[in-house]
Amino acid sequence: MTAPRPYAFLAEVTYRCPLRCPYCSNPTRVRNDRELTTDEWCRVIREAAALGVLQIGFSGGEPLVRHDLGELVRDAREANLYTNLITSGVGLDENCAHELRDAGLDSVQMSFQSDEPDLADKIAGARAHQRKLDAAAEIRAAGISLSLNFVIHRHNIDRLPQMIELTEALGAERVELANVQFYGWAFLNRAALLPTQEQVARAREVATTAKARLAGEIDIFYVLPDYYETRPKPCLNGWGQRYLTVNPVGDVLPCQTASSAIPDLRFENVRARSLDWIWRESESFNRFRGTEWMPEPCRSCPQKEIDFGGCRCQAALLTGNAANTDPVCTLSPNRAYVDALLRDLNSSSSHARAWMPRVNPKKDVVQPEADYAGTG
Amino acid sequence: MPTEPQIADELHPRLAPGVRLQIDRTTGEGVLLFPEGILELNETAHEILTRCDGRTLSELVRALADEYDVDLSALAADVRETLADLQRRKLVEIA
Repeated sequence: MTAPRPYAFLAEVTYRCPLRCPYCSNPTRVRNDRELTTDEWCRVIREAAALGVLQIGFSGGEPLVRHDLGELVRDAREANLYTNLITSGVGLDENCAHELRDAGLDSVQMSFQSDEPDLADKIAGARAHQRKLDAAAEIRAAGISLSLNFVIHRHNIDRLPQMIELTEALGAERVELANVQFYGWAFLNRAALLPTQEQVARAREVATTAKARLAGEIDIFYVLPDYYETRPKPCLNGWGQRYLTVNPVGDVLPCQTASSAIPDLRFENVRARSLDWIWRESESFNRFRGTEWMPEPCRSCPQKEIDFGGCRCQAALLTGNAANTDPVCTLSPNRAYVDALLRDLNSSSSHARAWMPRVNPKKDVVQPEADYAGTG
Repeated sequence: MPTEPQIADELHPRLAPGVRLQIDRTTGEGVLLFPEGILELNETAHEILTRCDGRTLSELVRALADEYDVDLSALAADVRETLADLQRRKLVEIA
Protein backbone atom coordinates (compact mmCIF):
# COMPACT_ATOMS: atom_id res chain seq x y z
CA MET A 1 0.00 0.00 0.00
CA THR A 2 1.03 3.63 -0.38
CA ALA A 3 2.78 5.00 2.66
CA PRO A 4 1.04 7.89 4.47
CA ARG A 5 3.15 10.75 5.85
CA PRO A 6 4.53 10.37 9.39
CA TYR A 7 3.76 12.93 12.09
CA ALA A 8 5.99 12.07 15.01
CA PHE A 9 9.56 10.86 15.35
CA LEU A 10 11.00 9.30 18.50
CA ALA A 11 14.78 9.69 18.65
CA GLU A 12 16.18 7.22 21.16
CA VAL A 13 19.60 8.82 21.32
CA THR A 14 21.07 6.36 23.83
CA TYR A 15 20.07 3.36 25.92
CA ARG A 16 22.42 4.43 28.74
CA CYS A 17 20.61 5.61 31.87
CA PRO A 18 21.45 6.39 35.51
CA LEU A 19 18.19 4.76 36.64
CA ARG A 20 17.27 1.09 36.82
CA CYS A 21 13.46 1.15 36.62
CA PRO A 22 12.03 -2.37 36.43
CA TYR A 23 9.39 -1.31 33.85
CA CYS A 24 11.77 0.22 31.32
CA SER A 25 10.54 -0.36 27.77
CA ASN A 26 14.08 -0.58 26.40
CA PRO A 27 15.13 -3.96 24.99
CA THR A 28 16.52 -6.35 27.59
CA ARG A 29 19.34 -7.23 25.20
CA VAL A 30 20.97 -4.69 22.93
CA ARG A 31 23.60 -4.83 20.21
CA ASN A 32 26.81 -3.21 21.30
CA ASP A 33 27.19 -1.18 18.12
CA ARG A 34 28.40 2.39 18.21
CA GLU A 35 25.71 5.02 18.89
CA LEU A 36 24.89 7.40 16.03
CA THR A 37 27.16 10.44 15.93
CA THR A 38 25.94 14.04 16.17
CA ASP A 39 26.26 14.43 12.39
CA GLU A 40 24.34 11.25 11.74
CA TRP A 41 21.50 12.35 14.03
CA CYS A 42 21.37 15.76 12.37
CA ARG A 43 21.03 14.15 8.95
CA VAL A 44 18.26 11.83 10.20
CA ILE A 45 16.41 14.78 11.78
CA ARG A 46 16.47 16.67 8.45
CA GLU A 47 15.28 13.57 6.60
CA ALA A 48 12.42 13.15 9.07
CA ALA A 49 11.31 16.76 8.61
CA ALA A 50 11.41 16.32 4.83
CA LEU A 51 9.15 13.26 5.17
CA GLY A 52 6.51 15.42 6.89
CA VAL A 53 7.29 14.79 10.56
CA LEU A 54 6.08 17.66 12.80
CA GLN A 55 7.28 16.52 16.22
CA ILE A 56 10.44 14.98 17.62
CA GLY A 57 10.78 13.37 21.04
CA PHE A 58 14.30 12.94 22.37
CA SER A 59 14.25 9.84 24.48
CA GLY A 60 16.43 6.94 25.62
CA GLY A 61 17.71 5.72 28.00
CA GLU A 62 18.54 9.10 29.43
CA PRO A 63 19.12 11.53 26.54
CA LEU A 64 21.05 13.94 28.81
CA VAL A 65 23.99 11.52 29.01
CA ARG A 66 24.75 12.63 25.44
CA HIS A 67 26.56 15.95 25.53
CA ASP A 68 25.34 16.97 22.08
CA LEU A 69 21.66 17.15 23.04
CA GLY A 70 21.53 20.96 22.81
CA GLU A 71 22.94 20.76 19.29
CA LEU A 72 20.37 18.15 18.26
CA VAL A 73 17.52 20.25 19.67
CA ARG A 74 18.80 23.29 17.77
CA ASP A 75 18.93 21.31 14.55
CA ALA A 76 15.41 20.00 15.07
CA ARG A 77 14.09 23.52 15.67
CA GLU A 78 15.85 24.73 12.53
CA ALA A 79 13.98 21.98 10.68
CA ASN A 80 10.79 23.47 12.19
CA LEU A 81 10.05 20.44 14.39
CA TYR A 82 8.27 20.68 17.75
CA THR A 83 10.89 19.48 20.23
CA ASN A 84 10.13 17.44 23.32
CA LEU A 85 12.65 16.03 25.80
CA ILE A 86 11.70 12.85 27.65
CA THR A 87 14.05 12.67 30.63
CA SER A 88 14.57 11.36 34.14
CA GLY A 89 15.79 14.85 35.04
CA VAL A 90 19.02 13.41 36.44
CA GLY A 91 21.84 15.67 35.21
CA LEU A 92 19.55 18.56 34.39
CA ASP A 93 21.03 21.58 36.20
CA GLU A 94 20.56 25.32 35.67
CA ASN A 95 23.16 25.55 32.87
CA CYS A 96 21.64 22.63 31.06
CA ALA A 97 18.10 24.05 31.34
CA HIS A 98 19.30 27.38 29.89
CA GLU A 99 21.20 25.69 27.09
CA LEU A 100 18.14 23.66 26.10
CA ARG A 101 15.85 26.67 26.27
CA ASP A 102 18.23 28.74 24.14
CA ALA A 103 18.37 25.88 21.64
CA GLY A 104 14.58 26.22 21.32
CA LEU A 105 13.32 23.23 23.31
CA ASP A 106 9.50 23.37 23.41
CA SER A 107 8.71 21.04 26.28
CA VAL A 108 10.08 18.63 28.86
CA GLN A 109 8.42 15.43 29.99
CA MET A 110 10.00 14.33 33.23
CA SER A 111 9.54 10.88 34.65
CA PHE A 112 8.72 10.42 38.32
CA GLN A 113 8.53 7.05 40.06
CA SER A 114 6.30 8.19 42.94
CA ASP A 115 5.58 11.31 44.99
CA GLU A 116 7.14 9.61 48.00
CA PRO A 117 10.96 9.86 48.03
CA ASP A 118 11.87 6.46 49.52
CA LEU A 119 9.49 4.54 47.30
CA ALA A 120 10.56 6.58 44.26
CA ASP A 121 14.25 5.88 44.87
CA LYS A 122 13.56 2.21 45.47
CA ILE A 123 11.75 1.90 42.13
CA ALA A 124 14.41 3.92 40.30
CA GLY A 125 17.21 1.90 41.88
CA ALA A 126 19.03 5.19 42.53
CA ARG A 127 18.85 8.24 44.78
CA ALA A 128 17.15 10.30 42.15
CA HIS A 129 13.92 11.76 43.54
CA GLN A 130 15.37 14.93 45.07
CA ARG A 131 17.43 15.53 41.92
CA LYS A 132 14.22 15.30 39.87
CA LEU A 133 12.49 17.85 42.09
CA ASP A 134 15.47 20.20 41.62
CA ALA A 135 15.47 19.60 37.87
CA ALA A 136 11.75 20.31 37.61
CA ALA A 137 12.30 23.64 39.39
CA GLU A 138 15.09 24.52 36.91
CA ILE A 139 12.80 23.75 33.95
CA ARG A 140 10.08 25.98 35.37
CA ALA A 141 12.60 28.74 36.15
CA ALA A 142 13.86 28.58 32.56
CA GLY A 143 10.28 28.99 31.35
CA ILE A 144 10.04 25.66 29.55
CA SER A 145 6.71 23.81 29.51
CA LEU A 146 6.77 20.86 31.93
CA SER A 147 4.86 17.59 31.93
CA LEU A 148 5.25 14.86 34.53
CA ASN A 149 5.14 11.21 33.54
CA PHE A 150 4.29 8.58 36.14
CA VAL A 151 4.40 4.92 35.20
CA ILE A 152 1.71 3.30 37.33
CA HIS A 153 2.02 -0.23 38.72
CA ARG A 154 1.18 -2.37 41.72
CA HIS A 155 3.66 -0.61 44.05
CA ASN A 156 2.65 3.01 43.43
CA ILE A 157 -0.88 2.95 42.01
CA ASP A 158 -2.47 3.64 45.41
CA ARG A 159 -0.68 7.00 45.53
CA LEU A 160 -2.37 8.54 42.50
CA PRO A 161 -3.94 11.41 44.52
CA GLN A 162 -0.53 12.37 45.94
CA MET A 163 1.08 12.15 42.48
CA ILE A 164 -1.50 14.60 41.18
CA GLU A 165 -0.78 16.88 44.16
CA LEU A 166 2.93 16.78 43.30
CA THR A 167 2.09 17.78 39.73
CA GLU A 168 0.17 20.79 41.02
CA ALA A 169 2.94 21.71 43.47
CA LEU A 170 5.61 21.64 40.75
CA GLY A 171 3.58 23.87 38.44
CA ALA A 172 3.49 21.34 35.61
CA GLU A 173 1.05 21.87 32.76
CA ARG A 174 0.34 18.24 32.12
CA VAL A 175 0.60 14.85 33.79
CA GLU A 176 0.61 11.44 32.23
CA LEU A 177 -0.55 8.67 34.56
CA ALA A 178 0.35 5.66 32.48
CA ASN A 179 -0.42 2.18 33.63
CA VAL A 180 2.63 0.08 32.88
CA GLN A 181 2.60 -1.58 29.47
CA PHE A 182 4.35 -4.92 29.35
CA TYR A 183 7.31 -4.70 27.00
CA GLY A 184 11.06 -4.85 27.53
CA TRP A 185 11.97 -5.03 31.23
CA ALA A 186 8.33 -4.58 32.22
CA PHE A 187 7.47 -7.81 30.42
CA LEU A 188 10.07 -9.70 32.47
CA ASN A 189 8.78 -8.07 35.66
CA ARG A 190 5.06 -8.19 35.01
CA ALA A 191 4.30 -10.50 37.94
CA ALA A 192 5.76 -7.88 40.26
CA LEU A 193 4.19 -4.91 38.48
CA LEU A 194 0.64 -5.77 37.43
CA PRO A 195 -1.85 -4.01 39.72
CA THR A 196 -4.91 -5.80 41.05
CA GLN A 197 -8.43 -5.32 39.68
CA GLU A 198 -9.39 -3.35 42.83
CA GLN A 199 -6.39 -1.05 42.51
CA VAL A 200 -7.19 -0.39 38.85
CA ALA A 201 -10.83 0.44 39.59
CA ARG A 202 -9.85 2.92 42.32
CA ALA A 203 -7.17 4.53 40.16
CA ARG A 204 -9.58 5.06 37.29
CA GLU A 205 -11.98 6.82 39.67
CA VAL A 206 -9.23 9.05 41.08
CA ALA A 207 -8.02 10.00 37.58
CA THR A 208 -11.53 10.77 36.31
CA THR A 209 -12.38 12.97 39.30
CA ALA A 210 -9.08 14.86 39.13
CA LYS A 211 -9.44 15.37 35.38
CA ALA A 212 -12.77 17.12 35.92
CA ARG A 213 -11.49 19.16 38.88
CA LEU A 214 -8.35 20.38 37.08
CA ALA A 215 -9.79 20.95 33.59
CA GLY A 216 -8.12 23.99 32.02
CA GLU A 217 -5.36 23.99 34.67
CA ILE A 218 -3.60 20.65 34.34
CA ASP A 219 -4.15 18.29 31.45
CA ILE A 220 -4.44 14.78 32.92
CA PHE A 221 -3.78 11.93 30.53
CA TYR A 222 -4.63 8.52 31.97
CA VAL A 223 -3.32 5.46 30.12
CA LEU A 224 -5.45 2.36 30.70
CA PRO A 225 -3.95 -0.95 31.84
CA ASP A 226 -4.70 -2.92 28.70
CA TYR A 227 -4.62 -6.45 30.18
CA TYR A 228 -7.81 -5.43 32.02
CA GLU A 229 -9.53 -4.10 28.90
CA THR A 230 -11.81 -6.08 26.60
CA ARG A 231 -10.69 -4.43 23.36
CA PRO A 232 -7.09 -3.70 22.42
CA LYS A 233 -5.50 -0.26 22.30
CA PRO A 234 -5.23 1.33 18.83
CA CYS A 235 -1.48 0.85 18.99
CA LEU A 236 0.46 3.57 17.09
CA ASN A 237 -2.79 4.49 15.30
CA GLY A 238 -1.82 1.68 13.00
CA TRP A 239 1.59 0.25 12.10
CA GLY A 240 3.63 2.58 9.90
CA GLN A 241 0.89 5.24 9.81
CA ARG A 242 2.03 8.13 11.99
CA TYR A 243 5.10 7.21 14.04
CA LEU A 244 8.67 6.15 13.54
CA THR A 245 11.48 5.50 16.00
CA VAL A 246 15.22 5.51 15.45
CA ASN A 247 17.14 3.64 18.15
CA PRO A 248 20.64 4.54 19.43
CA VAL A 249 22.46 2.50 16.79
CA GLY A 250 20.35 3.77 13.90
CA ASP A 251 17.80 1.01 13.39
CA VAL A 252 14.47 2.43 12.23
CA LEU A 253 11.50 0.91 14.02
CA PRO A 254 7.75 1.28 13.49
CA CYS A 255 7.53 1.06 17.29
CA GLN A 256 10.18 1.40 19.98
CA THR A 257 9.59 -2.08 21.38
CA ALA A 258 9.43 -3.88 18.03
CA SER A 259 13.10 -4.84 17.85
CA SER A 260 12.95 -6.95 20.98
CA ALA A 261 9.33 -8.12 20.76
CA ILE A 262 9.32 -9.28 17.13
CA PRO A 263 12.57 -11.16 16.54
CA ASP A 264 11.69 -12.36 13.02
CA LEU A 265 11.36 -8.82 11.66
CA ARG A 266 14.50 -7.32 10.14
CA PHE A 267 14.95 -3.58 10.65
CA GLU A 268 16.78 -1.25 8.29
CA ASN A 269 19.49 1.12 9.47
CA VAL A 270 19.96 4.82 8.66
CA ARG A 271 23.66 4.15 8.04
CA ALA A 272 22.71 2.06 5.01
CA ARG A 273 19.44 3.54 3.74
CA SER A 274 17.60 6.85 3.60
CA LEU A 275 14.78 7.40 6.09
CA ASP A 276 12.45 8.06 3.18
CA TRP A 277 13.14 4.65 1.61
CA ILE A 278 12.83 2.87 4.96
CA TRP A 279 9.49 4.54 5.75
CA ARG A 280 7.98 3.87 2.30
CA GLU A 281 9.58 0.72 1.00
CA SER A 282 11.01 -1.42 3.79
CA GLU A 283 9.49 -4.77 4.63
CA SER A 284 9.45 -3.90 8.35
CA PHE A 285 7.22 -0.84 7.83
CA ASN A 286 4.98 -2.53 5.25
CA ARG A 287 4.45 -5.87 6.99
CA PHE A 288 1.50 -4.68 9.11
CA ARG A 289 0.52 -1.52 7.27
CA GLY A 290 -3.22 -1.19 6.51
CA THR A 291 -5.59 -4.13 7.03
CA GLU A 292 -4.57 -6.68 4.37
CA TRP A 293 -2.27 -8.58 6.74
CA MET A 294 -5.04 -9.18 9.29
CA PRO A 295 -6.18 -12.68 10.24
CA GLU A 296 -9.62 -13.45 11.64
CA PRO A 297 -11.26 -12.32 13.86
CA CYS A 298 -9.82 -8.90 12.88
CA ARG A 299 -10.32 -9.24 9.13
CA SER A 300 -14.12 -9.22 9.32
CA CYS A 301 -14.35 -7.09 12.48
CA PRO A 302 -16.14 -3.73 12.30
CA GLN A 303 -13.50 -2.37 14.74
CA LYS A 304 -10.54 -3.08 12.47
CA GLU A 305 -10.13 0.55 11.42
CA ILE A 306 -10.58 1.67 15.04
CA ASP A 307 -8.07 -0.45 16.96
CA PHE A 308 -6.06 -1.84 13.99
CA GLY A 309 -5.97 -5.28 15.62
CA GLY A 310 -4.20 -3.88 18.68
CA CYS A 311 -0.49 -4.15 19.32
CA ARG A 312 1.82 -6.27 17.13
CA CYS A 313 4.47 -6.45 19.86
CA GLN A 314 1.95 -7.70 22.41
CA ALA A 315 0.68 -10.33 19.97
CA ALA A 316 4.27 -11.50 19.42
CA LEU A 317 5.18 -11.53 23.12
CA LEU A 318 2.04 -13.34 24.29
CA THR A 319 1.21 -15.64 21.34
CA GLY A 320 4.55 -16.02 19.55
CA ASN A 321 3.15 -14.56 16.33
CA ALA A 322 3.09 -10.80 15.67
CA ALA A 323 0.33 -11.23 13.04
CA ASN A 324 -2.20 -12.58 15.54
CA THR A 325 -4.99 -10.48 16.99
CA ASP A 326 -3.78 -8.73 20.15
CA PRO A 327 -4.74 -11.31 22.84
CA VAL A 328 -6.11 -8.53 25.07
CA CYS A 329 -9.15 -8.56 22.77
CA THR A 330 -11.89 -10.83 24.13
CA LEU A 331 -12.56 -11.92 20.53
CA SER A 332 -9.02 -13.30 20.27
CA PRO A 333 -8.70 -17.10 20.51
CA ASN A 334 -5.74 -16.40 22.83
CA ARG A 335 -7.59 -14.23 25.37
CA ALA A 336 -7.68 -17.17 27.82
CA TYR A 337 -3.94 -16.69 28.34
CA VAL A 338 -4.43 -13.12 29.57
CA ASP A 339 -7.37 -14.18 31.75
CA ALA A 340 -5.30 -16.92 33.38
CA LEU A 341 -2.56 -14.42 34.12
CA LEU A 342 -5.01 -11.97 35.68
CA ARG A 343 -6.68 -14.75 37.73
CA ASP A 344 -3.35 -15.78 39.16
CA LEU A 345 -2.31 -12.23 40.01
CA ASN A 346 -5.65 -11.43 41.61
CA SER A 347 -5.81 -14.63 43.65
CA SER A 348 -5.37 -14.35 47.39
CA SER A 349 -2.21 -16.45 47.29
CA SER A 350 -0.53 -13.89 45.06
CA HIS A 351 2.10 -11.80 46.81
CA ALA A 352 4.07 -8.87 45.51
CA ARG A 353 7.02 -10.52 43.83
CA ALA A 354 10.55 -9.19 43.61
CA TRP A 355 11.49 -7.41 40.41
CA MET A 356 14.66 -7.48 38.38
CA PRO A 357 16.15 -4.00 37.96
CA ARG A 358 17.03 -2.81 34.47
CA VAL A 359 20.68 -3.23 33.55
CA ASN A 360 22.62 -0.74 31.45
CA PRO A 361 23.84 -1.87 28.05
CA LYS A 362 27.54 -2.65 28.12
CA LYS A 363 29.87 -5.24 26.77
CA ASP A 364 30.31 -8.62 28.44
CA VAL A 365 27.12 -8.37 30.47
CA VAL A 366 25.27 -11.64 30.27
CA GLN A 367 21.64 -10.99 30.99
CA PRO A 368 19.69 -13.69 32.80
CA GLU A 369 17.37 -15.73 30.62
CA ALA A 370 13.84 -14.43 30.84
CA ASP A 371 11.31 -16.70 32.44
CA TYR A 372 8.55 -16.07 29.93
CA ALA A 373 6.34 -18.63 31.64
CA GLY A 374 6.16 -15.95 34.31
CA THR A 375 3.62 -16.76 36.92
CA GLY A 376 2.01 -19.84 35.34
CA MET B 1 -25.38 20.98 32.52
CA PRO B 2 -24.86 24.53 33.80
CA THR B 3 -23.57 26.84 31.09
CA GLU B 4 -20.05 28.06 31.65
CA PRO B 5 -19.52 31.77 32.19
CA GLN B 6 -18.91 33.55 28.91
CA ILE B 7 -15.37 34.74 28.19
CA ALA B 8 -15.31 38.50 28.84
CA ASP B 9 -14.50 40.94 26.02
CA GLU B 10 -11.53 42.52 27.77
CA LEU B 11 -9.65 39.25 28.44
CA HIS B 12 -6.53 38.26 26.49
CA PRO B 13 -6.45 34.82 24.86
CA ARG B 14 -2.95 33.42 24.33
CA LEU B 15 -1.45 30.07 23.36
CA ALA B 16 -0.72 28.03 26.51
CA PRO B 17 2.93 27.34 27.43
CA GLY B 18 4.45 24.58 25.33
CA VAL B 19 1.92 25.07 22.52
CA ARG B 20 3.10 26.13 19.07
CA LEU B 21 1.09 27.24 16.05
CA GLN B 22 2.57 26.68 12.62
CA ILE B 23 1.84 25.79 9.03
CA ASP B 24 2.14 22.11 8.13
CA ARG B 25 4.33 22.15 5.02
CA THR B 26 2.81 18.90 3.80
CA THR B 27 -0.78 20.17 3.70
CA GLY B 28 -0.37 23.95 3.79
CA GLU B 29 -2.87 24.04 6.69
CA GLY B 30 -2.43 25.32 10.25
CA VAL B 31 -1.55 22.92 13.08
CA LEU B 32 -1.25 23.28 16.83
CA LEU B 33 1.66 21.34 18.27
CA PHE B 34 1.93 20.44 21.96
CA PRO B 35 3.48 17.67 24.09
CA GLU B 36 2.58 14.38 22.42
CA GLY B 37 -0.19 16.02 20.46
CA ILE B 38 -1.02 17.55 17.08
CA LEU B 39 -4.28 19.30 16.27
CA GLU B 40 -4.99 19.93 12.60
CA LEU B 41 -6.93 23.20 12.44
CA ASN B 42 -9.81 24.22 10.25
CA GLU B 43 -9.53 27.63 8.64
CA THR B 44 -11.68 29.40 11.26
CA ALA B 45 -9.69 28.04 14.20
CA HIS B 46 -6.45 28.91 12.44
CA GLU B 47 -7.58 32.49 11.78
CA ILE B 48 -8.57 32.86 15.45
CA LEU B 49 -5.35 31.40 16.80
CA THR B 50 -3.06 33.53 14.64
CA ARG B 51 -4.66 36.50 16.41
CA CYS B 52 -4.16 35.18 19.96
CA ASP B 53 -1.15 37.47 20.26
CA GLY B 54 -1.87 39.62 23.29
CA ARG B 55 -4.89 41.54 21.99
CA THR B 56 -8.24 41.34 23.81
CA LEU B 57 -11.12 39.14 22.77
CA SER B 58 -13.12 42.09 21.47
CA GLU B 59 -10.15 43.35 19.42
CA LEU B 60 -9.70 39.86 18.03
CA VAL B 61 -13.36 39.60 17.01
CA ARG B 62 -13.32 43.05 15.43
CA ALA B 63 -10.17 42.26 13.42
CA LEU B 64 -11.78 39.08 12.07
CA ALA B 65 -15.06 40.88 11.30
CA ASP B 66 -13.21 43.57 9.35
CA GLU B 67 -11.37 41.00 7.32
CA TYR B 68 -14.24 38.64 6.53
CA ASP B 69 -17.26 40.91 6.46
CA VAL B 70 -19.46 38.71 8.64
CA ASP B 71 -22.11 39.34 11.27
CA LEU B 72 -20.36 40.52 14.43
CA SER B 73 -22.52 38.80 17.05
CA ALA B 74 -22.56 35.42 15.30
CA LEU B 75 -18.80 35.69 14.83
CA ALA B 76 -18.26 36.58 18.50
CA ALA B 77 -20.21 33.49 19.57
CA ASP B 78 -18.13 31.25 17.27
CA VAL B 79 -14.87 32.68 18.53
CA ARG B 80 -15.92 32.24 22.18
CA GLU B 81 -16.94 28.65 21.56
CA THR B 82 -13.67 27.80 19.82
CA LEU B 83 -11.55 29.46 22.50
CA ALA B 84 -13.48 27.86 25.38
CA ASP B 85 -12.94 24.43 23.83
CA LEU B 86 -9.20 25.06 23.40
CA GLN B 87 -8.99 26.44 26.94
CA ARG B 88 -10.54 23.25 28.37
CA ARG B 89 -7.89 21.28 26.50
CA LYS B 90 -5.18 23.47 28.00
CA LEU B 91 -4.09 24.72 24.57
CA VAL B 92 -5.15 28.33 25.13
CA GLU B 93 -4.97 30.50 28.23
CA ILE B 94 -7.36 33.39 28.75
CA ALA B 95 -6.44 36.01 31.34
